[in-house]
Amino acid sequence: MLEIGRLCVKIAGRDAGQKCIIVDVLEKNYVLIDGLTRRRKCNIAHLEPLNELIKIKKNASHEEVTKILKPLGLEVKTTKPKKSSIRPKKTKVVKKSVKEKAEKEVKKVKKSVKEKELSKTEDKPKEPINDSKISKTSDK
Amino acid sequence: MLRPGKTKSRSFRRVFTRVISKTKLFYQKGKPQQAKCSECGAKLKGVPRLNATSARKAPKTTKRPERPYGGELCSKCMRIRIKENIK
Repeated sequence: MLEIGRLCVKIAGRDAGQKCIIVDVLEKNYVLIDGLTRRRKCNIAHLEPLNELIKIKKNASHEEVTKILKPLGLEVKTTKPKKSSIRPKKTKVVKKSVKEKAEKEVKKVKKSVKEKELSKTEDKPKEPINDSKISKTSDK
Repeated sequence: MLRPGKTKSRSFRRVFTRVISKTKLFYQKGKPQQAKCSECGAKLKGVPRLNATSARKAPKTTKRPERPYGGELCSKCMRIRIKENIK
C-alpha cells in the first residue's frame, strides 16, 4: 500500500489531519513525505493511506510536488523564515512633575551649601590681639 | 486578611510558614483538578494545574499541547477522530 506516489493523511503530530505524498521509502518502517506537511521522514504507523496513486519521480523536489498537487485542489504554502529584529530598548519615561521636583531639590541643596559656607566665614571674625593684656600678666 | 467567618468551613487550604521568630498561618485558595479527555476520561498530559492569575500570566503554548484537539482529547481519541473525519 505505501509506495512512492501514494496520497496519505497524517494522523499524529502537530500537522495531524494534513495530506501528504510519499516521496521515498526509507529503511524499517520509515518513509519520506512532502506536501502540505513539512518535508521529513515519518513512521508508517502515523499515516493513513488514501485510495489515490499519483505518478511521481523518486526524490522529487518540493517545487515539483507543489506543481503536481495543484490540479487536485491542494495548495502548498511556502513560508519564508522571519528576519529576527532587535527588540527596541525600553527607555524610562520620567514624568514632568517628578523631574521638576528633583531639579528643585537639587537647587535647594546647592543654596543651603552656599549659605553655610558664607555663614561660616562670618561667624569667625579674626579678633585683634591685645598686647597690653599679655604684658600685664607676664609681669606678675 | 480574609473576611471573618470565611475560614470556618474547610474550603481554604491552611498553610503554616516559618517567619523569622514565629510560625504564621496563611489561607490559600485551591488549585483546579487535572484536566481530562472529553471522550474517554483519561487524564490529559501537557495541561498544568494553574489557578486564574497564573494562567493569565502564562503564555498560551505552555498550557496545552501543540496539536489539533490539544487540551481537549487525548492522543488516542484524537487519532480515532481524524480517521473518522477523512471519510
